[in-house]
Amino acid sequence: MEAAVKAIAAPRRRQILTLVRDGELSAGEIAAHFDVTRPAVSQHLNVLKEAGLVSERRNGTRRLYRARPEGLVELKEFLEEFWDERLSALKREAEKEEKQRGNDD
Amino acid sequence: METTTETSVERELAIDASPETVWQFLVEADKLDRWFGNQAWLDPRPGGQYRVDVIDGHIASGEFVELDPPRRLVHTFGWEAEGGQENPVPPGSSTIEIELEPSGAGTLLKFRHYGLPGPESAASHSHGWDYYLARLVVAGRGDDPGDNTGPEGM
Repeated sequence: MEAAVKAIAAPRRRQILTLVRDGELSAGEIAAHFDVTRPAVSQHLNVLKEAGLVSERRNGTRRLYRARPEGLVELKEFLEEFWDERLSALKREAEKEEKQRGNDD
Repeated sequence: METTTETSVERELAIDASPETVWQFLVEADKLDRWFGNQAWLDPRPGGQYRVDVIDGHIASGEFVELDPPRRLVHTFGWEAEGGQENPVPPGSSTIEIELEPSGAGTLLKFRHYGLPGPESAASHSHGWDYYLARLVVAGRGDDPGDNTGPEGM
């Protein structure tokens, strides 16, 4: 999931994901939506692909990209990790506080 | 294995601190800042509002529904709109319930976050997709080494 997190960290890649959420687009079509070069878009797409967030399909000479729904299941798991981390931190801080109070008494 | 339905996150956690101490970490801003986000503003009474800058301007907010110190806390939860983007989980759209049970000298914390879009709805609704993206961003930044991890680590 770390790859997915890094992939998502860039606002441009989030915009690209939103674009290919409901349908397939080529890199050129995606680039047309933004003020960026097509190589830049291709690079973003590679990052997203490696993170499992988009799939690539060849159609003749064109490569079409689309968001992967399976990636969402992984994101769901990641959401759970979000809470696990937060709750672990809560446990750690509350226990630290309790100990300090014990020492102060 | 942890049990997870499509629409909720549930966790149980044993904490070596009294329910009174844990409760303070749920409703006092300076203590909330030690585990949840950068900065919290809150008005912990039924109908009172809270806002938490979770990470770098990602603001979670909601309303306190039920406070029974130090036993039970219910509040709504959502993310505020960012940069004019459509917001699939506005404040008030999901709910967090936390129960604290005395357990020996410590506390058993039961956490439940429900009203979330599940993977299925995420796959079929653009809202769910946006929602997970927003959450992932927050979670991912929470992973930064610079986050407030205690000196003793985990």
